Amino acid sequence: MIFNSAAAMVLEKALNQGVKLDPATLAALEDLSGKVVGIELTGSGLKFYLFFSKQSIHVQAHLDGEPDVCLRGAPLAMMSLGLAADQQDVLFSGDVEMSGDTEFGQRVKKIIDDIDIDWEEHVSHICGDVGAHQVGRAVRGLSEWANQSLHTLYEDIDEYLHDEVRMLPSRDQVNVFIADVDVLRNDVDRLEKRVERLVDTIRE
Amino acid sequence: MKSSDSDTTHFGFESVAVDEKVRRVGGVFDSVAQSYDVMNDVMSLGVHRLWKRVAIDLCAVRPGHRVLDMAAGTGDLSLRLAKLVGEKGEVIASDINASMLNVGRDRLVDEGVIGNIRFVQANAESLPFADNSFHCATMAFGLRNVTDKSAALAALFAALKPGGRLMVLEFSKPVVPGLAKIYDFYSFNILPKMGKLIADDEDSYRYLAESIRMHPDQGTLKSMMEEVGFERCDYHNLAGGIVTIHRGFKL
Repeated sequence: MIFNSAAAMVLEKALNQGVKLDPATLAALEDLSGKVVGIELTGSGLKFYLFFSKQSIHVQAHLDGEPDVCLRGAPLAMMSLGLAADQQDVLFSGDVEMSGDTEFGQRVKKIIDDIDIDWEEHVSHICGDVGAHQVGRAVRGLSEWANQSLHTLYEDIDEYLHDEVRMLPSRDQVNVFIADVDVLRNDVDRLEKRVERLVDTIRE
Repeated sequence: MKSSDSDTTHFGFESVAVDEKVRRVGGVFDSVAQSYDVMNDVMSLGVHRLWKRVAIDLCAVRPGHRVLDMAAGTGDLSLRLAKLVGEKGEVIASDINASMLNVGRDRLVDEGVIGNIRFVQANAESLPFADNSFHCATMAFGLRNVTDKSAALAALFAALKPGGRLMVLEFSKPVVPGLAKIYDFYSFNILPKMGKLIADDEDSYRYLAESIRMHPDQGTLKSMMEEVGFERCDYHNLAGGIVTIHRGFKL
């Protein structure tokens, strides 16, 4: 019980720190006041209820009755809802389940999608516009490099496992194998029937 | 709780007349009001924030609810409750002590909580509210100082709507072996000294420690709640029973 409340407390701090950085989101949140969003992390037993008021989000661990909309899913699936390029995929795949007032849920989702933190602006308060621009360029360069490195690493590992040590089959090989298994299964089914028929004829 | 002689009650470890207790508890809180929040943080090492947090979680309020925060004091619970119930809900912050209520009101206004909160100076034993008018009532660290606790619980019961719940957060009896000794040493030797250092008021914090010892333990308070009509009563010990959250429903 204490753990749930403490987790809600941490989540509340993190969410509020996040939305404070984006004034547009703060303004949008005001429209949600009076509504409750439930988040249920299946398997962990953790439930959170998000309340919205002017300028802040409040997270509670208990609620009397049902929230206006509830998102239910495993922790990892929930994370992918936040990170995936196309959230519809996550919702339609059934990993995350939405129940209740889905129209309201869509409004919440839109606000999450629209979060756009202008980091350069916030950094400029600390070290001025020119400094912030330099930092911004450095960060963009760094993230580009990181993305590229990650991509190269992924390709290298892929090539190593498939072509060099031949530990993993290629996609085509797998497809052929799966098709072969299907044929084999059908053949076995047919054979089974024929054996049954044969047994029947012998008995007669 | 009243003692066997109905005209006297306890004030810490002392025995005093009933009227005297109200006056002296009033004196304690008039004296500590200004430094109350600082002392809470120091005495509990800030953990009281988590306790109050858990207590509010267990209230399970939702937007639109009408909540009575009895013994609201400096408004720790009212502040969060007012944000949770939103514009359509309402929080009544009530305390018997004008000094504490003033500190609480100033603080809530400073925090921008206005519109859905009202302040009422009232005695918990005889509440000036219509029956069946609150979804939830809370009393955090207040019941201990009430002279007639059963009367206060009965008054809260009457004020709740059917289905409403009472949440009482109060010091209680440590249940973890060995904790009681450390806790006693802390509250009778260190606590009054800290009170002197920070609030310049040793006696008030000696009263705090003594009143905690005279307060009914978990089981007794639970049965007191059941006696006035609360159902599905339960309690949760926090910090090994130093603090307990009691819950009861009016069904």
